[in-house]
Amino acid sequence: MIEILQTGIHTSIQDIGRHHFKNFGVPVSGALDQSACLIANSLLNNSPKAAVLECCIKGPKLKFHDNYYICITGAEMNARLNDEILKNYKPYFVKKEDVLSFGIAKLGCRTYLGISGGIETEKVLGSRSQYQNITSSDKIIKNTIIPIGKSNFKPVVGTRVKEQKINYTKINIEVYEGPEFKFLEKEQRKLIQKKIFHISSLNNRMAYQLKEKFAHNLPQIWTSPVIPGTVQCTPDGSMIILMRDSQVTGGYPRLLQLTESSIQLISQKTTNNKIRFKILPKII
Amino acid sequence: MSDLFKFKVSALNTKTILLEWSIEPTDLLLEHIIKFKSLIEKDTEIQQCIVGYKSILIELKNTIHSLFYWEEHFKKKQKKIKNTIIERNHWKIPVCYDLKYAPDLLNVSKEKNLDTGKVIKLHSDARYRVNFLGFLPGFLYLSGLDSRLYLKRKKKPLLNIPKGAVAIGGKQTGIYPNISPGGWHLIGNTPVNLFNPKKNPPCFAKPGDWISFEQIDSHTYSKIESEQQNGNYQLNKYD
Repeated sequence: MIEILQTGIHTSIQDIGRHHFKNFGVPVSGALDQSACLIANSLLNNSPKAAVLECCIKGPKLKFHDNYYICITGAEMNARLNDEILKNYKPYFVKKEDVLSFGIAKLGCRTYLGISGGIETEKVLGSRSQYQNITSSDKIIKNTIIPIGKSNFKPVVGTRVKEQKINYTKINIEVYEGPEFKFLEKEQRKLIQKKIFHISSLNNRMAYQLKEKFAHNLPQIWTSPVIPGTVQCTPDGSMIILMRDSQVTGGYPRLLQLTESSIQLISQKTTNNKIRFKILPKII
Repeated sequence: MSDLFKFKVSALNTKTILLEWSIEPTDLLLEHIIKFKSLIEKDTEIQQCIVGYKSILIELKNTIHSLFYWEEHFKKKQKKIKNTIIERNHWKIPVCYDLKYAPDLLNVSKEKNLDTGKVIKLHSDARYRVNFLGFLPGFLYLSGLDSRLYLKRKKKPLLNIPKGAVAIGGKQTGIYPNISPGGWHLIGNTPVNLFNPKKNPPCFAKPGDWISFEQIDSHTYSKIESEQQNGNYQLNKYD
């Protein structure tokens, strides 16, 4: 078990998501940076479906109630085990009563904490990912205890994992044309790829809104399915990139669709960060 | 060839295909889409399908190797859709239209120049079709609102619409399954729980089902509310 001493800004339990209830209006949820989450689990020999902690901007302070291995991935967040500075992408042994604390994200903005055995809170609709009105809370709560599963993981002596250097400052976001892209004027199609956009302060697990408006004359559409990474454009020109907690259907034109790796990249970006859309060839 | 058989196929990403119809949504299209969905969902290469008013989104288990292959595949499947009539549930949803549950009822009555009794009658006499679920877990997209009740959404959305609120917005009516922001006009409230994550399925209604609203008084509202809390409430259906 682990005890939450301080929660951080928005720390939540996440896994690969809740995939089978979209027909009931249930968002997929799950770690925004799925790749970082998967690596944390694989370095601990956990199941890829194991739940981890997703820390955003400023991480939590935790106390371990048993011996585990842990692995931190994603953004650099100045993690310390008691007084020792920890590196990302490396399994560490932690003992009962050890305290792990995180600082503020330096590179990127989301950090994942994997624990050998995985977090074992109750599964709701097939997933442990926290989401309002599905799990009892949408984030971790101070002074609560989180159960951890069993594991007999031991790192093989002498093996080493090459440190991951992921460039979160890359500004190009790879996208496909969305279903309503074809209705844009020729000039607008060019502009959407040239323009530098900035992420507004309205960015969270549900959606990232961009600061710059994108004027268009597209009509509203009959409500239709949307998925994480869909870029919607409202009548007043606000560009909204849907993330993993977004609703499953929407009525705004869908201009672009982020690739899976672009979703991961953008989930490591925050307010005022620059992006530019790079449109990939159509899938045929 | 019927317009129902004309749909466009495109890829949203490497594992997601979108089928879109260009005709306006009708009951006929809804039936067709529901049957189409259940037919293709049996395919082992397909993870799941999600529907909208005139579209089906298909999530594949593997990467698309040829979109043309899938287009042909879906066209072949479509020909197998049978014209049989499927029995659908018709749910009776109890709604209390008393003013304490209906903060916007007087305003709706004024805007539409109908007395409140008439608003309630028009709303509860109709039979609505569940097109699909979306927006919030357990939120039903319903068609069939009487055109005399069409009313533009509020300019400023409310931040905390109460759970169970029954509302009108544009040409639609709906029930808020949980507290949420929203711009619709609140004309009543149902004690019935539309979404229970502890149950599978978490919502009783399915696309294609019918629902009607049945007016209840505040005493019945409280009774149903407590029956539901004790787990011995059974939602009524029409035969």
